[in-house]
Amino acid sequence: MSGHNNSLISFENVSRFYGEVLGINNVTLSIPPGITSLVGPNGSGKTTLMNMVCGLIRPTQGRISVLGVSPQHPEKLCRLVGYCAQFDAFPKGLTGYQFIYSFLMMFGFLPAECDRRTREALGLVGLMDAANRHVAAYSKGMRQRVKLAQAIAHDPRVIILDEPLNGLDPLARAEAIALFRQWGDKGCHVVVSSHILHEVDRISDQVILLSQGYVVAEGQIHSVRSEVKEQPMQILVRCDRPALLASRLFAQDHVVEAKIVADSKGLLLRTRDADSFYLLLNRVILDSGLEVESVAPADDDVNSVYQYLIGAEGAAQ
Amino acid sequence: MRLELKKTFLSKRGWWIYFLALGPVAITVLHWLVEARLGRGAGNRHSIGEDSIIFAGMFLFYYLRAGIFFGAMGIFSNLFRAEMLEKTLHYYFLTPLRRELLVAGKYLAGLIVAVVLFGSSVVLAFLTIGRHFGASWTDYLLHGPGLHQLGAYFLVTVLACVGYGAVFLLSGLLFKNPMIPAAVVWVWENLNPFLPSLLKKISVIFYLKSLCPVEVPIPPPFNVMVVDADPTPFWVATPGLLAISLILLVYAAATARTTEISYSD
Amino acid sequence: MAVYKKTYRPYEGALTGPLARLWVIPRYAFEDLHRSRFLNTFFIASYIYPLICALIIYVQHNASALGLLGVRGADRLIAINVVFFMSLLGWQSMLALFLASFIGPGLVSPDLANNALSLYLARPFSRVEYVLGKMSVLLILMSLMTWVPGMLLFLLQGYLEGWSWMPDHARFAAGIFFGAWVWILILALLALALSAWVKWKPAAGGLMFGVFFVAAGFGAVVNGVERTSWGHLFNISYLVGSVWLRLFEGAEHSTNGAVFFRVPEGEELPLWCCWLALAALCGVCLYMLARKIRGAEVVR
Repeated sequence: MSGHNNSLISFENVSRFYGEVLGINNVTLSIPPGITSLVGPNGSGKTTLMNMVCGLIRPTQGRISVLGVSPQHPEKLCRLVGYCAQFDAFPKGLTGYQFIYSFLMMFGFLPAECDRRTREALGLVGLMDAANRHVAAYSKGMRQRVKLAQAIAHDPRVIILDEPLNGLDPLARAEAIALFRQWGDKGCHVVVSSHILHEVDRISDQVILLSQGYVVAEGQIHSVRSEVKEQPMQILVRCDRPALLASRLFAQDHVVEAKIVADSKGLLLRTRDADSFYLLLNRVILDSGLEVESVAPADDDVNSVYQYLIGAEGAAQ
Repeated sequence: MRLELKKTFLSKRGWWIYFLALGPVAITVLHWLVEARLGRGAGNRHSIGEDSIIFAGMFLFYYLRAGIFFGAMGIFSNLFRAEMLEKTLHYYFLTPLRRELLVAGKYLAGLIVAVVLFGSSVVLAFLTIGRHFGASWTDYLLHGPGLHQLGAYFLVTVLACVGYGAVFLLSGLLFKNPMIPAAVVWVWENLNPFLPSLLKKISVIFYLKSLCPVEVPIPPPFNVMVVDADPTPFWVATPGLLAISLILLVYAAATARTTEISYSD
Repeated sequence: MAVYKKTYRPYEGALTGPLARLWVIPRYAFEDLHRSRFLNTFFIASYIYPLICALIIYVQHNASALGLLGVRGADRLIAINVVFFMSLLGWQSMLALFLASFIGPGLVSPDLANNALSLYLARPFSRVEYVLGKMSVLLILMSLMTWVPGMLLFLLQGYLEGWSWMPDHARFAAGIFFGAWVWILILALLALALSAWVKWKPAAGGLMFGVFFVAAGFGAVVNGVERTSWGHLFNISYLVGSVWLRLFEGAEHSTNGAVFFRVPEGEELPLWCCWLALAALCGVCLYMLARKIRGAEVVR
């Protein structure tokens, strides 16, 4: 394995079948450090992909490498990886503290170190006060947080989080996102799957869109959006005379649609050629003294890309 | 292992295993108390020899065929299968511990629990069944065959836990419903006295029975159906059982190595 | 005005009765069971013994059939008496135990394991109705296996022997009907209680057998160590066998009970003790059900 690959999570032609059912098909990917979001409808293969990174399931074919380590060696891999699974299940009869402490002991840390790490992890997710209560008596949000704490307590470099925002209230969700950001900024690989697209949009350095076991798109969301040529780009222009701009735009072939927004202070348009539109906009500003407050893509986000690439097929699931 | 011991020893769901183990002790203690009270005036109603045969029958028909068998089934088949059902096995699989070690750790924890429960039960039941004989029982224990018998029963108990433990650990890993193989094993083990001598030897109970210190007569009408076979000598039965258990454990470890997390099944 | 006041219209049409609502549970359970090829085969196979019995009754009363077979005096080989009917009940009851072990654990445990109990209890549906609904599945199926074929055979025998045979042997009918009900009520309660406490279906099924066989073994240990017969109080099939003996034969009995439900000679216990032990068992099962069948589980 090359030195370059030692900083990546890489999939080479990975497929996984459950009997005759397709889980993942011929996936080739490289996940760099930072926050990577896995997005796709239910059954698209997100959890399969995550389970394979953690070595909980094996690929039917292909090769996976996590920072240069094969998932077939859990002894090495599990020191690198922390996994917060989607299952809301815990070993019976343990308190939040015991839950984290017991599994840290299996990492070979000394008792004092386990204690320190347990307290630190619980503090990080705001559960110190509930540390000595049984996990079974926690609320859903608390259980989600204690799972997060358990996943990161051994200080992994790769953090895999399957639907980590489920069940969290808005405040806890914001705190969790801040934590993901912090880990991502530290250089960790944070792989998150989520259905909350606007939050995915906020936190992700890159996204991987999955549908029916195939990778539909991957990369930074702006690059992905620009690759979707068949869908006209939506652009919102805030200006003082939207009607004037609209009249000039309708003369252009690449403009599909333009509508004046409700407050009459802006124009939302759809164009097949964004570059031509920006040239035209410059000309209008120069010719008629149009005062432009802002120009911003309106569908340059995960939600729109999801709709364009997965669309009704995903929504139906 | 600490986690497993805590789960198994203090589990509310394991109450029936305690019942299986401690039930006979309660009966022998009751026997001691009743006989001590009755015997005060009229002397003992029966001999030490009778009680030792009764204990042998209890050991063979209750402990080996029911108590330890079902207890081991409850303890060992749950070590992995219960984790799968409760969707918690991935926590163990996500630790940097070799799966083989995980199997060994869980098995050892189960074995400690089984031996502590059933070993102490056998010892206590043996010590109390003849307690009402007073000094003659002490003499039987210390200067007669008592201590040797007790040691043999304890050894057989440990071997039964080792053997059945390995069988049920493996069946918990291999089968979604370990009760079906358990039922098959139970029927096979109970048919053992009536099987031809060659088939007899393919069972745990045959070797364990060979190690029991007191022969138990089979009551009529079953005695006519029993097929006699030469008992296996100690030096074959003990290492043989341990070797079979080791093979089963190695296979269980290899199975665990390739086990995948698939809770939806 | 609040939105609900403008738009909400409560349902004002006719409602089905409580009994019809109760039927919803067994209806779906029967559909589930019907899908299992194993259970279908087992259920059909359970009629082999009653069919053989019917054949025996027919042959006993048909001299020409015996003559055709060239058999003389075969009618005296298998007499249609108390042993005949008790054996039938014993055999069918043992099959009912297997059926309860297969079906019973799947009735309540999946609802508890999937937190679905609250969905039932959020409807106009009480805990008792839930238990009765679940239990009716077992009661119906086990009835079809035990007293229904037993009573049909009793009627067949009465028809062929002459109607006066029936009043003369009314005890047999009472024994079959009430004896079977004692057994199936105990089985149903035990199956539901274990299903409510043991969420893992195979374990609950295994425990069902364990309760019968290990308890009987435990009873034997008590009898052996204490040189007594009171250990039979742990042996459920002995207790039921004692009740059957009284139902079939009254105080003076000429047999040792049915197959699997033996009452060894000289080891009889007072009947009221047997009833008391069975009632205690039912009480424990009801307590177990009351503890677990709740809309919400409190974890401390």
